[in-house]
Amino acid sequence: MSRVPGAALAPSRGLAAGGVLALLVLVEIVGRLGLAGPGWPPLTDVFGYVAKPSAQQLLGRALTATATAALAGFLLGGVVALLVAVLSALVPATGPGLERLAAVVHAVPLIALGPLLITTAGREATPTLVAALAAGFAVFVAATSALGSANDAQRDVFTVLGAGRASTLLRLQLPAGLPLIVDGLTLAAPAAVLGAVIGEWFGARRGIGVLLVSSMQNVQTDQLWAAALTAAAISLLAYVLLVALRGAVNRRFQ
Amino acid sequence: MPARSNDLALPTDTEPAIALRGIVKDFPLKRGAAVRALDRLDLEIAHGEFVAILGPSGCGKSTVLRLAAGLEQPTEGEVLVEGRSPAELIRAHRLGVAFQEHALLPWATARNNVALPFRVAGREVDRERVDALLELVGLAGFEDARPRQLSGGMRQRVAIARALALEPDVLLLDEPFGALDAVTRRRMNLELARIWMEQRITTLLVTHDVDEAVLLADRVVVMTGRPGRVLHVQQVEMPHPRGGEVTRDPEFHALVDRLTGMLDDPEPVAATS
Repeated sequence: MSRVPGAALAPSRGLAAGGVLALLVLVEIVGRLGLAGPGWPPLTDVFGYVAKPSAQQLLGRALTATATAALAGFLLGGVVALLVAVLSALVPATGPGLERLAAVVHAVPLIALGPLLITTAGREATPTLVAALAAGFAVFVAATSALGSANDAQRDVFTVLGAGRASTLLRLQLPAGLPLIVDGLTLAAPAAVLGAVIGEWFGARRGIGVLLVSSMQNVQTDQLWAAALTAAAISLLAYVLLVALRGAVNRRFQ
Repeated sequence: MPARSNDLALPTDTEPAIALRGIVKDFPLKRGAAVRALDRLDLEIAHGEFVAILGPSGCGKSTVLRLAAGLEQPTEGEVLVEGRSPAELIRAHRLGVAFQEHALLPWATARNNVALPFRVAGREVDRERVDALLELVGLAGFEDARPRQLSGGMRQRVAIARALALEPDVLLLDEPFGALDAVTRRRMNLELARIWMEQRITTLLVTHDVDEAVLLADRVVVMTGRPGRVLHVQQVEMPHPRGGEVTRDPEFHALVDRLTGMLDDPEPVAATS
């Protein structure tokens, strides 16, 4: 579909906007009629809450904290994952071991890591570290397959030209794998936001995760929904930005 | 190049440019079984000679080229290129290769693709040579085009220019025009004949196209398959340069018919000798 720009894109965008609108209307109707109980307010009430300056201040502070932790975690996790993937490409003997290590680290639920990190790394660093773990695994999986994505004929040409491992990595594997690496980043960005929120859950000073927990405990339904929607909005924004980057990279490297 | 021969204390005129001696190549299958791709194959190519290996698909002709390129190791026997192992030549960046798949870097321009061997070898890119090579293969004016913007024939020209970039001792071509249509292929054959006349590099061409082999080569080696052996070696006496008029020569057609006949014969008698 993406091969035919313009023609196919316009109606699909229209459909997407229509779908989002229909979903919002549905959420509003369920809330108005109270179909899902008092925990599901009408969307207009939530927007009414967000319009209040005090709520904006509260949400703004939480948003800044979570976005900062998510971005820092995304960068940290992404860079470490890329370095590990590059290491396994340069020293192929380490490949299977590193992949197993990543799988084991990923198999530990982030929920279980949270309290552990709070006691070892502290409340300030935990959201960033959980975000880094969540984002890093997505980037690592994408990067290891990306670095193997050059075709056999290209590899043979590099071999016969006498290219070393570093040169092959730099001039063939990385550029050939860039579209796949960006795909990994596209998945890693929402994962980092989710990771940051989970990390805050366990006792950070501020952030959307903290707001979610306190709203829930104090039955502030509108605030709870506003916080959840804010988290979704950051996630979506990160995703949209990376999809745009992916488009640019695909045009350049494929 | 004489300096290198002196290093080895071997006179250039007696040592062939490429020597494959007693080559056996087995490819392992599952459960310890193996299929024999090449069986006691001998082949020598002299300096400045153009040899075409002709054979049906699956006869092991590409394996011969991959052995000379150092991409495969023989199970038995010895492969020497310029008196050394292919691995040594690879390390010295003295081999040029082009495959059926052009294997160009899609993100790089034609100029940067041809410059790749310089960069891989850690040498400064000789921009004049790169542009001269693009001109040699008829791509002047397309230096900044990316592979996607070029036709199939043009991509193969870039691949051949890339193979020639470092003035290799040996040029290895594996069905370089195999994916092209018949008309483009014929035109590329004549282009390659012209390019080769200017460079005179020792060349090993693998093909299943009889016309292509006879048009280009000094010697055509006909192989038979499973396991791969040399069935017949045909000297092509027609003088270089060979242009389009050669293909209308009765001698050319007689030769093509003879060699085609050999490829058709499923159980050639000569193969058992």
